[in-house]
Amino acid sequence: MESEDDFDMQDANESAEDDDFYSGGDDGDDVGPAYAFDSDDADDADDYEFIDNETDDSDDLASHRQQNFSILSEADIRQRQEEDIIRVSSVLSISKVSATVLLRFYNWSVSKVHDEWFADEENVRKAVGLLDKPAVQFPDAKELTCGICFETYPWDRLHAAACGHPFCNICWAGYIGTAINDGPGCLVLRCPDPSCGAAVGQDMIDLLASGEDKEKYYRYFIRSYVEDNRKTKWCPAPGCDYAVDFVVGSGNFDVTCRCSHSFCWNCTEEAHRPVDCDTVSKWVLKNSAESENMNWILANSKPCPRCKRPIEKNQGCMHMTCTPPCKFEFCWLCLGAWTDHGERTGGFYACNRYETAKQEGVYDECEKRREMAKNSLEKYTHYYERWATNQSSRQKALADLQQMQTVHLEKLSDLQCQPESQLKFVTEAWLQIVECRRVLKWTYAYGYYLPEHEHGKRQFFEYLQGEAESGLERLHQCAEKELQVYLNAEGPMKEFNEFRTKLAGLTSVTRNYFENLVRALENGLSDVDTHVPCNRSGSSKSLGGGSSRGRRSKGSTSRSSGPNKNVDDSSHWSCDQCTYANANSATTCAMCQHPR
Amino acid sequence: MANSNLPRRIIKETQRLLSEPAPGISASPSEDNMRYFNVMILGPTQSPYEGGVFKLELFLPEEYPMAAPKVRFLTKIYHPNIDKLGRICLDILKDKWSPALQIRTVLLSIQALLSAPNPDDPLSENIAKHWKTNEAEAVETAKEWTRLYASGA
Repeated sequence: MESEDDFDMQDANESAEDDDFYSGGDDGDDVGPAYAFDSDDADDADDYEFIDNETDDSDDLASHRQQNFSILSEADIRQRQEEDIIRVSSVLSISKVSATVLLRFYNWSVSKVHDEWFADEENVRKAVGLLDKPAVQFPDAKELTCGICFETYPWDRLHAAACGHPFCNICWAGYIGTAINDGPGCLVLRCPDPSCGAAVGQDMIDLLASGEDKEKYYRYFIRSYVEDNRKTKWCPAPGCDYAVDFVVGSGNFDVTCRCSHSFCWNCTEEAHRPVDCDTVSKWVLKNSAESENMNWILANSKPCPRCKRPIEKNQGCMHMTCTPPCKFEFCWLCLGAWTDHGERTGGFYACNRYETAKQEGVYDECEKRREMAKNSLEKYTHYYERWATNQSSRQKALADLQQMQTVHLEKLSDLQCQPESQLKFVTEAWLQIVECRRVLKWTYAYGYYLPEHEHGKRQFFEYLQGEAESGLERLHQCAEKELQVYLNAEGPMKEFNEFRTKLAGLTSVTRNYFENLVRALENGLSDVDTHVPCNRSGSSKSLGGGSSRGRRSKGSTSRSSGPNKNVDDSSHWSCDQCTYANANSATTCAMCQHPR
Repeated sequence: MANSNLPRRIIKETQRLLSEPAPGISASPSEDNMRYFNVMILGPTQSPYEGGVFKLELFLPEEYPMAAPKVRFLTKIYHPNIDKLGRICLDILKDKWSPALQIRTVLLSIQALLSAPNPDDPLSENIAKHWKTNEAEAVETAKEWTRLYASGA
């Protein structure tokens, strides 16, 4: 049987979630109190509920991300909790203990408490267990019998909640202690009398529980403020004690905790903007289910050279026969047709073709990859590989950034005689790389689920992704490799200023590319009819690694090549600096503001 | 020895159970363990269990009364809230337990459960289904089982 309390809570949670993400407007007055970070902007917070993502200005997009959440330490949480309790207590003219019971019951929504209370105080009191007057008169006798242990005590050794049902202090301590050790249900504790629903408030806990139990109780109490409140969540990073308060309805769910962990406030997976939560959860599930399969298949099978189905070799002989309908007979070692085997290959059972071929380099990486890609997991492998590579690339970039900040910047400052304040561009470049790797990674999950038949969208998506990817490769390369020259230099180099201009330029160009990509994905590639990628429609069909490699070389030479070479189509011109395809009417590049 | 430090509450409850038994219910502690009770409940009149004598065992755990007593039917019974091991689905034995409840109230609740089976919150899926699809037939089976297994042998 479902306990009534549980049911109510669940119900409240569900309805809370219902209007959580879609309206958000109803508790605008709830968002008010001091922001831990930027209290100046607290007023603006309300506005975001109406702005959504309509604005096109990229600066605005960036600032959105700064302001729609705030990080709460334990002290902040306590303070907010206390403020809310005081607010309810003073508005409803009830004790702080009663206000606490009410707030807990309504999942810490001050406005909900106010609404319900003023709509029907009597009903609320009944549901929550705040009695107006005692259910029974606390007996007026010198000695009383406890309803639990049946012992008789002087009246001052017994206590009752607001209802008046008396129990001895020892039994109260046992009752409260049992509830606390049972879990957070202790926060909605009621009188032990089975017919009575009177709430057991914090005053009783303070008075009657043991020190250890009290400590646990207050842990649940603070957790409840975060976990039952629909505007806050704990940062999911291991060992992190911060909570994140989110302005509901502000569009973008990505938040960054003070511990530097970025996550999606909605699904608490790691940050995955611009890809939506459903796609991410599908992808994550697929990875966990598929990756093991895939690893096993890769480790234990080879694809049939003719039909490409994966084959497990479960007997000793090298003469393989694929299952019907294929029935292809081949050699496990060289994957060549068995009919080719004989004296000239070194005999049936000692096939040496594999060795020879390997020596000649026929089975190079590319060949293996091509073979593998042909099997049934081809598509998934493709996206998974790129997703995973960007993931590890991001991890590496994070480590590099760390290294840069702790060691290299100081060294660079000494070597190149630059104050560290002048080297911010390096940190900015690395931060951009880390962020872009994250976005790029998730675009591969997006790409995997983008329907094959939506050719226009696929083409546009792959174009944007390819552009962003090649931009990022240039930036990453510059920050990783070219910087080394200045780190290894004997003394100041006059080219350093040029390097600064280049890296800062690449950073901003890459940022623009990615903002473009993010925006396009966030509005579901709805521009697909207006933005036909003209100057790259040919190459954009090939995906990822290959195409980006191709573009990288193109990108690095584009500076020297004249603008004419970059115009493939009369209605567009390609930017000299960043290669972006601009409309003919534009006189400066929409990406980097470089004049035509 | 285990009985030497028996809480006063258990002693008092036991005394009252023996001196003023509830109608249709008897409960007596085992001689070697005062926390273990042999219980008999008479099938309530106008229920499929009428005329039956049902044996149960009841045990008071160390935490009692902060934790609920453990009760199960020893006599086979056809009832949607009681499974074939005799375990009982009753809220006050689980999350609705309160230390202000007693052995007596628990046994009265079990007696009431025999009068009013609740197939919407089943413990025994098959019996509950039977009850919901063809109550008359299920009641007949319950009567049959009462005759077979609970005829006071």
